[in-house]
Amino acid sequence: MTHTLHRSGPIESLRGDYVWLMYQAKGINDTNIKPKAEEFIAAAEAVGSENWGDVKSGSILELGAENVKARISDKSRLRGIFTSRPQVVEFLRRIKARNVGLSVIISGLLDEVLPACVQAGVTPHTINYSFGVWGKKDLLPSEETLALTTMCGHHQIAPALVEFYRQRVREGRMKPESAARKLAAFCPCGIFNHVRAARLLRET
Amino acid sequence: MALINPDLCNGCKVCLMYCPLGVIRMEGDKAVIDQEQCVECFVCTRKAVCAKKAIFPGAITTKGRELRHFLSDPTETKSATGVPGRGTEESKTNDVTGRTKKGQLGICIDMGRPGVGVWMRDAEKVAMALARVGLNFEECSPLTAVLKDRRTGEIIDEVRNERLLSIIVEGTVPENDFPKVIAALRAVEGEIDTVFSLGVISRVDAAGNAPFLSQLAAIGLAPPLRGKVNVGLGRPLVDD
Repeated sequence: MTHTLHRSGPIESLRGDYVWLMYQAKGINDTNIKPKAEEFIAAAEAVGSENWGDVKSGSILELGAENVKARISDKSRLRGIFTSRPQVVEFLRRIKARNVGLSVIISGLLDEVLPACVQAGVTPHTINYSFGVWGKKDLLPSEETLALTTMCGHHQIAPALVEFYRQRVREGRMKPESAARKLAAFCPCGIFNHVRAARLLRET
Repeated sequence: MALINPDLCNGCKVCLMYCPLGVIRMEGDKAVIDQEQCVECFVCTRKAVCAKKAIFPGAITTKGRELRHFLSDPTETKSATGVPGRGTEESKTNDVTGRTKKGQLGICIDMGRPGVGVWMRDAEKVAMALARVGLNFEECSPLTAVLKDRRTGEIIDEVRNERLLSIIVEGTVPENDFPKVIAALRAVEGEIDTVFSLGVISRVDAAGNAPFLSQLAAIGLAPPLRGKVNVGLGRPLVDD
């Protein structure tokens, strides 16, 4: 599933938007996952991952970190966000040092992620490159809306809901941070970057 | 399937803005779900969208509705295709699976994304276009599971008129065939009533460079800005 790859929006806003994923491969290294997941969570928390979750249970913004941790199992698949390159670098350093043995993926702008790999001392193995949207593009909502809806790659956030909250923010009836958290509640994976979302809502 | 109990609906219209595909509408003073267009993502049934509890997840009784639900609701774990998951591990575990090898490219076409939805008949058009240029369909993929013939990319009749939030057409081609893939996609993109997002998977060197990127200028593609980088920490590491 490529639900973290095709995020859109102004390039500068994407500079504060990185997704991390922990992945086990079926039949290869998919046993005894719970302690390994706990290693990932410890590293993510140590560097301040602003949102993370397990699609099997939900995100920390929805459930709280302790509740997500309590539900970690050998079936868990963790993923989350960072908002700065130094977080990515330190996260990779920590995971490499722990030698957990699961696949680690960082999704984001290549001119940010690849230098982060160098700084962290990890070697990129494979990249899934985004070549954008094709087909009947007049069916898409506005670029401003897509910048928010594509942060839930499973598209559980409706364009009309984004418009509703944007209007509330414009009218001063809601803070951008509160509106961003409302939208984040619809992303079960924990990859919705509510920090970036608040900035986008404030600017548009 | 997602349903609205008209006896409980008070006509407040709040639920309309929660539907990712905008297929809840008003009929008179009651909200109704357009069942032909609904992909069964169940967003409207969660998060207390309806204060009156008028929206509820009813039983899913057909294979077609099962397919819609499984591929559109990321919280659903019961497979409707015989293969687990809505997509595949694609590049994410390539450091231990070696699924996309050196000299190959993985082609990942997210049909219906971002947020438009896709009829399976349109996914079939793209699958057939890529079959004609030799796409080797990924074995463990929901789309492949409903192909009637991998040589042609045709899908089974029972699902052709089902609608989903998204489904991925995925497979591999020799790296040198990349221009053929792009030509096929350019030809078929005007024939579909939806959008797709294109991802291309490649092994990279230690600096993160992929050989196929040198072909982009010649075929009129801009260099990609975003990528999903597998940083090679999975074990045992595959390097072929």
